[in-house]
Amino acid sequence: MVDLKVEIAPGLVLKNPVMTASGTFGYGREYAPYFDISRLGAIITKGLSRQPKIGNSGVRITETACGMLNAIGLENIGVERFLSDELPILQKMNATVIVNVFGNNQDDYANLAAKLDGVAGIAALEINISCPNVKAGGIQFGIDPQAAAKLVAAVRKKTSLPLITKLSPNVSDIVVIAKAVEEAGSDCISLINTLIGMAIDLERKCPILGNVTGGLSGPAIKPVALRMVYQVAQAVSIPIIGIGGIANARDALEFLLAGATAIEVGTANFINPQTSIEIVEGIEQYLDAQGYSKVTDFIASLELN
Amino acid sequence: MYLFNSEIVNKEKLTQNIFRLRIKAANDFCRVATPGKFVMLGSDDSLFDPLLRRPFGICRWGTDWFEVIIKIVGKGSSQLSKLEKGASVAVHGPLGNGYPINKPENEQNTLILVAGGMGIASIASYLFAAFDRKQPLIGTFLLYGAANYSELILLNELTDADAFGLQLQTITDDGSCGRQGLVTQLLSHELQNNPQSQVFACGPEPMLKSVQKVLQKNECDGFLSLENRMACGFGVCLGCVQSMINEDDETSVKTAKVCTQGPVFPAQQVIF
Ligand SMILES: Cc1cc2nc3c(=O)[nH]c(=O)nc-3n(C[C@H](O)[C@H](O)[C@H](O)COP(=O)(O)OP(=O)(O)OC[C@H]3O[C@@H](n4cnc5c(N)ncnc54)[C@H](O)[C@@H]3O)c2cc1C
Ligand SMILES: Cc1cc2nc3c(=O)[nH]c(=O)nc-3n(C[C@H](O)[C@H](O)[C@H](O)COP(=O)(O)O)c2cc1C
Ligand code: FES
Repeated sequence: MVDLKVEIAPGLVLKNPVMTASGTFGYGREYAPYFDISRLGAIITKGLSRQPKIGNSGVRITETACGMLNAIGLENIGVERFLSDELPILQKMNATVIVNVFGNNQDDYANLAAKLDGVAGIAALEINISCPNVKAGGIQFGIDPQAAAKLVAAVRKKTSLPLITKLSPNVSDIVVIAKAVEEAGSDCISLINTLIGMAIDLERKCPILGNVTGGLSGPAIKPVALRMVYQVAQAVSIPIIGIGGIANARDALEFLLAGATAIEVGTANFINPQTSIEIVEGIEQYLDAQGYSKVTDFIASLELN
Repeated sequence: MYLFNSEIVNKEKLTQNIFRLRIKAANDFCRVATPGKFVMLGSDDSLFDPLLRRPFGICRWGTDWFEVIIKIVGKGSSQLSKLEKGASVAVHGPLGNGYPINKPENEQNTLILVAGGMGIASIASYLFAAFDRKQPLIGTFLLYGAANYSELILLNELTDADAFGLQLQTITDDGSCGRQGLVTQLLSHELQNNPQSQVFACGPEPMLKSVQKVLQKNECDGFLSLENRMACGFGVCLGCVQSMINEDDETSVKTAKVCTQGPVFPAQQVIF
């Protein structure tokens, strides 16, 4: 049987390359009725902030061709309640837990990193840098290489946990951002977050989402994600986690070929809660059938014609 | 909760754009179905378009089947409408809390069911469950409103022998069946006659809003079944949330997931 273990950061070896994307897996336990979540490489929590956040009002989701737009507004229970109410349950389930965090400014991120540092049961930190940088006039940390690097360096100082930086695709050159966060000390890069999009209700002549715009996810964004993973893989030497439209094992394998060491399954979890575990099984079957002894031989083995 | 691919064992056209599917299901699924719960349904071969499954109320069930009634309004419902007997569907359910079906403590209390448009599919699940248990419906009112006569579905089934004791009143926007007007007018009237009633309501949001107002005016408790848009149906996307009054702290607002904490909520808690 093929060895599915992958190392996504120094010392952080996952039992397989399949994780679940932040915001699509709740706090993890919601999936326990459907399969044993400890069988996944890791689960990644809904994005957490220092204080609980109530999220956006109005319509929050709408489907588009082969995808969906969401404007949840990062609703979450806050880091304190996660630590007291949710993490112990995940530990009992033996799940490998990666915590996704976000903030409004550098202090928020640094504070969250410090708070989670050394907490038992947390395998790594994923920082979502697609949030507005209030100090820099509301622009995202994730679209400015300098701001992104400063943020990563600040978080790096506050945590000994493996650090994953999650990149926004809403930039003109994602490679520049990837290099900047690598340099600033990120152990790993995950990409992509959602692409900003919009949907209009022609009958009512108004935007469908309460927030006007929202994040596009699902199979519709897979080609963009795959291209970005491929480009970033050429440019950095730290491991990459591929995200975007992955709905089955074939999709996941394509991301591995393009240079991702691991992948995250997002929107597809909504359609079938067992998608992620089916992808673990599908990858294993494929690699076994192809005669691979370890998945690492397959990763980044794309042949250019 | 169960997750399975199943077979359509019967399909019946109720109107030009409303149809009923009977879908095979395991005994275990049927045992945990209760009125007001729902399923997420999808076609096996949608090839991601539509992408997400769609929520539909479990309208009736037996030992090895359940039924849904679907109105064609868009991509998902229209694709389901193309499936014929024998075709395969993907099912996830039963989901949600359902109506509180413990009998009112005071046997004399009346139960008023209020259905607007397709809200009848959810409300009828209570009635069909009563029929199937041979439970008499004395003291139960069904106030049923729709745009016009042809949109009033299930009338035959809701007036036949099974429905012994049920008092049915219809109302339509255009007066083509029953009175002309809105179903909340019927509710106001009934609550004056029976102030101690329990009320269950399902329908479009504007209707539920006015049901809430009527209940408030009459100082009457009731339950509303909401139909917010859903992506997952099992509490992980936060797409379906509804603002609710925070009982712990009346000055603040909280959100509730309609899919797992609902779809049925005490009327006075919902903030529209
Ligand atoms: C718990 C629950 C139970 C339901 N039970 C039933 C049922 O028994 N029978 C039934 O026919 N329908 C029921 N619905 C509604 C049904 O889920 C939607 O009609 C269906 O998802 C529409 O999908 P579609 O792809 O056909 O339409 P879409 O293409 O998604 O949308 C078509 C149009 O409807 C609007 N729309 C879509 N969803 C909603 C919504 N939730 N609220 C308001 N507007 C919306 C869209 O903006 C668009 O204008 C229920 C919904 C919920 C949440
Ligand atoms: C409903 C929803 C909520 C999300 N919430 C978060 C979040 O809180 N933090 C985050 O970093 N990404 C969030 N994402 C982005 C996903 O983690 C993922 O990057 C994106 O959806 C692309 O992957 P997919 O196409 O497989 O869904 C969310 C996505 C969706 C659909
Ligand atoms: S539909 Fe996803 S949380 Fe309710």
